[in-house]
Amino acid sequence: MSTRQPRFNQQVLLDTTPLPDSVPKVTEIGASSAPLLSASFFIGARCGPYNDDYMKCKEDAHGRGEIDCMKEGRKVTRCAASVLDDINKNCLEEFRKHWQCLENNNQQLWHCRRPEQLLNKCVFDKLGLEKKIPGAPENETPVHLRKRQIFSHNFSSIREDEPQT
Amino acid sequence: MGVPFEALIPYAIMLGMFGLTGAGLSKIRHMQNGGKRARHSIDQWDRQMMDRDRRLTGYLRGQTDEVAAPPGFELNNPWRTEKRIY
Repeated sequence: MSTRQPRFNQQVLLDTTPLPDSVPKVTEIGASSAPLLSASFFIGARCGPYNDDYMKCKEDAHGRGEIDCMKEGRKVTRCAASVLDDINKNCLEEFRKHWQCLENNNQQLWHCRRPEQLLNKCVFDKLGLEKKIPGAPENETPVHLRKRQIFSHNFSSIREDEPQT
Repeated sequence: MGVPFEALIPYAIMLGMFGLTGAGLSKIRHMQNGGKRARHSIDQWDRQMMDRDRRLTGYLRGQTDEVAAPPGFELNNPWRTEKRIY
């Protein structure tokens, strides 16, 4: 019964007791939804093994995952924080343009392919991380590399003959 | 014969009124969303992420790209309590 969403809640309860000292402290990630969505494929490229470990641990724990899998969770947080730190240090301008475009477009990736291609190029040159869509069929071009984006406002991605601004 | 423009004036008035109200509503939604376009088709994941944004920045559409969360963030996720139904 505790797993349903609250209905008509009128009060909130804030529990400010911190975690016990036996748990090592890791600062939570401070990025909000649009920068996280923008960096998500790069986090996946670098942190894939840690994320898979955490997901397997939670699946095997049968409900006790929040308590039993804290070690894997700390690894996930530290790895994602390292990716975000590297992106902030190296590619901040392209990163900001991309997530500001996403935030203006309902956080849908297909409207913002042009800033995304600039960001992918910068991250690949400086950090060596490449965006791959897991589970995409091998014999077609991936969706983020196609010339024509069917549903977007802008109707097409970067064409090679266009001068880049 | 010229175009009978007096007959087209009512259409111009209707278009103008619809356009004005549409632009006004769009401007109001723009201001309500912190200078951005409104979000639509939000599902539970998006609601959860927007709640996290509100906890992080104070605004529902606020965004930051810092690496570390501000100090009170781990503890400000509230329990939503309901009154008992007897």
